[in-house]
Amino acid sequence: MNAHARPVGGKIVTPFFLVLLALAATAGVLVGYRLFTGVGSITALTDQYSWGIWKPINVVTFTGIGAGAYGVGLLTYILNNGKYHPLIRPAVLVGAIGYSLGGASVMIDLGRWWGSVFLLYPPWYNFSSILLEVALCVLTYVGVLWVEVTPAILDRWSADGSSRLKRFAARLQPRLQAALPFVIALAMLLPTMHQSSLGSLYLMAPTKEYPLWFTGWLPFLFLTSCLTMGFGSVSAVDILAGSVMPGRYRTNMALLGGIARVAGWVSLFYVAFRFADLAISGRIGYAFQRSYQVPFFWAEIALFTTSGLLFLSRRARTDRGRLFTAAILALLAGAIYRVDTYLVAFDGGPGARYFPSVGEILVTVGLGALGVAAFLLIVKKLPIFAVGETRP
Amino acid sequence: MTLSRRTLLKTIAAGGAAGAAAAIALPAGAVSAEAPPPVPPDARGLLYDSTLCIGCQTCTVACQRANRMPSEKSVKVINGAPYLFPTDINADCRTVIKLYEKGDRWAFMKMQCMQCLEPSCTKACMLGSMQKRQYGIVTWDPVRCTGCRYCQIACPYEVPKFQWDSPVPMIVKCDLCLARKDGKTGSACAEVCPREAVIAGPREELLATARRRMAASPRKYNPKIFGEHDGGGNQSMLLAPAGVEFTDLGLPALGDVPPSRLAMNIQHTTYKGFIAPAVLYVAAAVAVFRNMRAERKADAAQGGNEEDRP
Repeated sequence: MNAHARPVGGKIVTPFFLVLLALAATAGVLVGYRLFTGVGSITALTDQYSWGIWKPINVVTFTGIGAGAYGVGLLTYILNNGKYHPLIRPAVLVGAIGYSLGGASVMIDLGRWWGSVFLLYPPWYNFSSILLEVALCVLTYVGVLWVEVTPAILDRWSADGSSRLKRFAARLQPRLQAALPFVIALAMLLPTMHQSSLGSLYLMAPTKEYPLWFTGWLPFLFLTSCLTMGFGSVSAVDILAGSVMPGRYRTNMALLGGIARVAGWVSLFYVAFRFADLAISGRIGYAFQRSYQVPFFWAEIALFTTSGLLFLSRRARTDRGRLFTAAILALLAGAIYRVDTYLVAFDGGPGARYFPSVGEILVTVGLGALGVAAFLLIVKKLPIFAVGETRP
Repeated sequence: MTLSRRTLLKTIAAGGAAGAAAAIALPAGAVSAEAPPPVPPDARGLLYDSTLCIGCQTCTVACQRANRMPSEKSVKVINGAPYLFPTDINADCRTVIKLYEKGDRWAFMKMQCMQCLEPSCTKACMLGSMQKRQYGIVTWDPVRCTGCRYCQIACPYEVPKFQWDSPVPMIVKCDLCLARKDGKTGSACAEVCPREAVIAGPREELLATARRRMAASPRKYNPKIFGEHDGGGNQSMLLAPAGVEFTDLGLPALGDVPPSRLAMNIQHTTYKGFIAPAVLYVAAAVAVFRNMRAERKADAAQGGNEEDRP
């Protein structure tokens, strides 16, 4: 089926595209300014809240959105549901972009970013550092995801490249094909490791995390919720593609229905597990206390439950709007869980407050815009979507 | 929809397998979780005795001088006159005296790095910039630091401070004046204290002094030495007046287990010998390989010779 994937084509520079670029450029200017003036100049970060929205949103949520490649990959390659193939290329592209942006955000956030070259120097590795594991996994996985995107590039070259590019593609394709199982296996292992470890990071701060969020199951909950986010993003992207290219691209409702079922049960499992963990460890009482963190907890539960039930509702399998709502809610659910764990539940000490600065928000928005722009550019130029197949 | 139920079951199974590593770690993590961390043979630290402190802040000034810290940020102008007024440790101030009041009880408190026996910052640090080095003192190595600030997230005492307004920021914390900039040696704060409220020395000597003082006037002291066992034990320790709890002084209630132990047990059990990830990788590779081959065969049988690419 993938062989039918074609470049979407069309004009690259649209007004919307220019808006995205303007937002990205704003972020670029701010980042440039930060390089000469320090992290504090454009952020509201303090010694008490030394990680702000760039961590839970730019890194952990962007990669959560990018986890669609992981979720659909699991279904397709491990559980052998080959029918999901048409969803893989868009998911892998979203993953490659999301993870690249996450990695870029880390570099912007690192105070001594040049020191990160030593991430390539194993003698200095501290194997106790959860953050090191996350960093190495994410860096490797960014590479893996772009390798997974290369078949699309080679397809494009062998279809209408110069004769040299055609020869090059023809030589590389079989080798890539042979290597692919090992690359894909890596693409399954690495997210399992780092998505869970993104939760483990906060196991290091037992005295600072609000008890509703602090649990030894943080890694498991982060892994579970990255799957619902990934399924949400895959569904949202496919529905959006169908909506903006009417007559040229048909949303794979049958496939999304299958994914919705899995996503729904995983979401509800997450909620059940969350409550079971709170009840067994005796922390459930915190959910009913008067504290500013508590509404965030219930919002999280409400979002996971609603998106789960919507995913499972019979109508969601035929109703694009309903499925889209479920998908967006699933993304929000995962995002709020991440922000809760990293910021809401985190107690920076007496009197410490954090609210993101305009600069932080603009950088986050700008990076998001850059991601959307990159996605639009690439799907127009490379065979990612199976366009031009639908009959009216 | 024939696949849906099976897919579902299999997904849950796969999710379980994927999370199994983490799951197994939880019960298994209890092993040796209680073992106290080793004390470096040359461990040195500070002993702060709140009952002797008069809050003069000479230690703060001496610290800033000895380490050539700028003091502008610690100065507050009140009614036109400048006062040295550091309200907390920060990137320009490694130690500070605080006054805690609760009801009719009050006590001074000296804040600086506790030099944990098993520090969270050194566990958090990606490239080993933060490490226990000479005398068991936790020091910061600029070359290995990426400025990620995970040490700040991890430290239960909120000790490491970051230079937010510098393009070449450093992490600043007490190193017991191991790298004094005025050519002298020894801890400046202890050197200048007029009341021996803060003294420096080998950990064993400090503990002995603390016990001697408490034995001499037992009614004066809270019977606990903070840092003897708290959070696995520290090299810099505190004594509080009777009736004042250490949590009243703004210190966290850590118990006797190092606060990073849970994370370390989960992480090290999951990744022990890198076996679980290796097994997961091989299993995934075999599954992917077999599934892709089966699919190619099925495609060929259908007459289509399309290759399945992602």
